[in-house]
Amino acid sequence: MASLSLKHIEKIYENGYHAVHDFNLEVEDKEFIIFVGPSGCGKSTTLRMIAGLEDISEGEFLIDGVKMNDVEPKDRDIAMVFQSYALYPHMTVRDNMGFALKLRKVPEAEINAKVEEVAKILDLEKLLDRKPKALSGGQRQRVAMGRAIVRNPKVFLMDEPLSNLDAKLRVQMRTEIAKLHERLGTTIIYVTHDQTEAMTLGTRIVVMKDGIVQQINSPEHLYNKPCNLFVAGFIGSPQMNFLDAVVEKKGTDTFLKVADFEIKLPADKAEAVKDYDGKTVVMGIRPEHLLDGRGKEAEQCVVKAPVEVRELLGAEAYLYFSLDGKQCTARVASDVDLTVGMEGTFAIDMNKLQLFDKETEKSLLWAE
Amino acid sequence: MERNTMAYKSKQFLMFAGPALILFCMVIIIPFLYGLFLTFTSWDGVSAEKPFVGFANYVSAFKDAYFWSAIGRTLIYSAFAVVFVNVVAFLLAYMVTSGVKGQNFFRAGFFIPNLIGGIVLGYVWKFVFNRAFVAIGEAISGGTTPSLLSTTGGAMFCLILVSVWQYAGYMMLIYVAGFMSVSDSLKEAAMIDGCTPSQAMRNVTIPLMRTSFTTCIFLSITRCFVVYDVNLSLTKGEPFFSSVMAAMHVYNKAFTYKDYGTGQAEALILFIVCAIVGITQVYVSKKGEVEA
Repeated sequence: MASLSLKHIEKIYENGYHAVHDFNLEVEDKEFIIFVGPSGCGKSTTLRMIAGLEDISEGEFLIDGVKMNDVEPKDRDIAMVFQSYALYPHMTVRDNMGFALKLRKVPEAEINAKVEEVAKILDLEKLLDRKPKALSGGQRQRVAMGRAIVRNPKVFLMDEPLSNLDAKLRVQMRTEIAKLHERLGTTIIYVTHDQTEAMTLGTRIVVMKDGIVQQINSPEHLYNKPCNLFVAGFIGSPQMNFLDAVVEKKGTDTFLKVADFEIKLPADKAEAVKDYDGKTVVMGIRPEHLLDGRGKEAEQCVVKAPVEVRELLGAEAYLYFSLDGKQCTARVASDVDLTVGMEGTFAIDMNKLQLFDKETEKSLLWAE
Repeated sequence: MERNTMAYKSKQFLMFAGPALILFCMVIIIPFLYGLFLTFTSWDGVSAEKPFVGFANYVSAFKDAYFWSAIGRTLIYSAFAVVFVNVVAFLLAYMVTSGVKGQNFFRAGFFIPNLIGGIVLGYVWKFVFNRAFVAIGEAISGGTTPSLLSTTGGAMFCLILVSVWQYAGYMMLIYVAGFMSVSDSLKEAAMIDGCTPSQAMRNVTIPLMRTSFTTCIFLSITRCFVVYDVNLSLTKGEPFFSSVMAAMHVYNKAFTYKDYGTGQAEALILFIVCAIVGITQVYVSKKGEVEA
């Protein structure tokens, strides 16, 4: 297994397009790193640079301290699982999985033993003599994983490996990948645009936008302490609610004025906006931190609005309402008896409230 | 009108497929059947009478040593031409899909010989072999240099060379489509698995291009088997009838020697040989094709 080091990595294409800006990351042995971000943010490009499928324009990439910039992909001792699985259609599952070992001139008996061992882990034993076209999406995905595992590489690279699967299978395979990481104890770099995958799988997450790293940290940290509006909005589902709020100081207390409601800030949050008196900031609150606030009006942390849509998900329900012209979502227990048209009273969990500068979009509470 | 009735379905079928069906019958089926009928007559190609002679024309065709030597020659010519056409076309396709600068220009350039008719192509190359190469040879050696077309082996070599020049560009386009159909991610997976470029080509790209190979080999076999225009304009079957291909022999038999019935029977035998070789090749190649 291995540690990786990416120092000031840049990717500039021949046409001048700057895909990745000053990417820095130290990956420890056995880490599960997730690159997450919207389409075109440079996450796949960075992964491909690590794989050696794209040239690195500037910067240094090292595996175990050895510079890899000009090393051929085959000599980097990495394995990659592609979004399309990239299984060789003319080969059986067994041949697909053993192909890399065959190229290394590993004895056939050893290849067979290794393939069968991995097939057992991935429950592919009965499929070894089939060709990829005779497999379902989930089975193909497992073969692609198996092909990577058989090689016992230093690093696993995975480029959106679950995005072609249906929702149910995706959840199942997500668990499989997590178990596999636990079992193999390998260094994995995983690209996805799905923040749920990122949150559930990663030991650390790299959030990217427009080729620039926004924040690198653990899933919990990114969820609780996002460093800017983008990270706050990208991590978490449903997305965090953002509302413009004017800071008002009244004596020793500090309030946020949102629409017609005044919300009293706790001391630590008041301290963060002490220089913003009379100015507008962006208040962020996750749907799960908007609670049924009936009877809590005295706490000066409630907003009220009629419920426009109610979506029942089983154990919980999403309530959609508008505040100050912006749509907001509250995630409440399904037994909360608020239905469409009823006036909802939503209490804000003040400990979870996020505050951002409206101009710079940076967090006023946490710096990365 | 009720949509489920036979009359409605027939009308629909005739409306869409009728014109093509009529044309196909007029230019393929009827002439073929008429040709088949003529093989059983001793028609001279001119007179109104077509005396029925049974299988006499086939007996005559099987006894025609010149015909069988022309078939043998065609087989040798086809074997060489098919191999070289496909090797050259494959290499050209590899070159013009490798990201070389001006690859679209090269694609168009290599395809152009296919646009020139065989007759014109034959005369152009005849000039090149008889004049240009001879002049170059004489300038280098200082003595008299015979044209390649004047020797028996040379004429065959020239025919193969011109055929390669004529067909390689066309086949190249099919191979280009084959190269482009192989997903980049498969090539990248091969690189990561440890393939060198040549191993990736051998183990991944070529096996996935079998459809292109099947098509190109079938097309080149069928074209080479019935080569006539280049044969006529480049060598005219000379020297000493050493480059008379099967199609030229059939033509001469029917129209020059006015033995229309035997010529027609030989044409049918040529068709059957060509069909057997072509279909066998397609059958064998198709068995190994894979769907992605």
